[in-house]
Amino acid sequence: MVDPEPRHRQRRTRGEHVVSRRYPIGRAVRRLPMLGWLVLVWLLLWGTYDPGTAFFGIVVGVLVIWFFPAPPIATDIRLRPLRLGQLVLFLAWDLVVSTGRVAFEAIVRGPRVRASIVAVTLVTDSDHLMAMVANAVSLAPGNFVLQIDRANRICYVYALGAGEHATERVRREVLGWERRVVHAVGTGEQVRMVDRNHRSEVG
Amino acid sequence: MSWLDLFSAVCLIAGAVSCLFGAIGLLTFPDVAARLQAATKPQTLGLVLILLGSAVHLEVRYASGLILVGLFQAITAPVLAQLVGRAAYRAGSVRRDTLDADHLARRIEHERGRTL
Repeated sequence: MVDPEPRHRQRRTRGEHVVSRRYPIGRAVRRLPMLGWLVLVWLLLWGTYDPGTAFFGIVVGVLVIWFFPAPPIATDIRLRPLRLGQLVLFLAWDLVVSTGRVAFEAIVRGPRVRASIVAVTLVTDSDHLMAMVANAVSLAPGNFVLQIDRANRICYVYALGAGEHATERVRREVLGWERRVVHAVGTGEQVRMVDRNHRSEVG
Repeated sequence: MSWLDLFSAVCLIAGAVSCLFGAIGLLTFPDVAARLQAATKPQTLGLVLILLGSAVHLEVRYASGLILVGLFQAITAPVLAQLVGRAAYRAGSVRRDTLDADHLARRIEHERGRTL
């Protein structure tokens, strides 16, 4: 059928690859961010910041990673702190605006509220980005992702308070979230992809 | 009354109002998917505001734990909404007559036609 070389290359361009079992040290290093996160959660939970707590945090973190191994997938996420900050601020702002919108719908329309389920095809092709976009869309009231078709990169989004032009509006909103997420954590290639798509949409 | 008290009061009241809107939506919306919006989302904003309002009055080391509460709420609420929404849709609890467009139904119809 397909010879292994092109398929391998295709995998790499998608930005994800399975961590090999043959390199235990590399595997351990890739789990360090996870360990750091677990230790941070441990410290925040205790509310005491001293070496002793940190030590037991590391012990518990190692045990957690040992007994509940996450799927061994690495991804080349590029963190851009400034853009990430913008994304968080925008999420917070959207949360406030959409809460107001849903409150309006609840009080004024109530039982006569209209909604739509809209299929949106994303531009980029990555598990992590898709999960983050779905989460960003679903965080604010009014919209949430009902179903994801990962293979075809389609999100089925339920949107409350939809009108005549709901389909187009929801599509633009979701693609806007994708653009912000990709700008915050995507690779250079993915950023170019969403920007190109954005330019062609705008005109 | 200091500025801190004022800030805290505004946050707490705004948070409580946000939760109230959620409760109103829960009563007035017609089906599971719409109620889900009211039940999960304004609560997120309400909780974050209430946490913020109380955090400014706590010592830093106690307040830092509240970051986790807000963070986990923000991460888990959408996942929960997706799972419940999806189950409700499959179980037919989303009222089709409230929908202006339904691309998912078209897709499922299409797939059924192909497999039969």
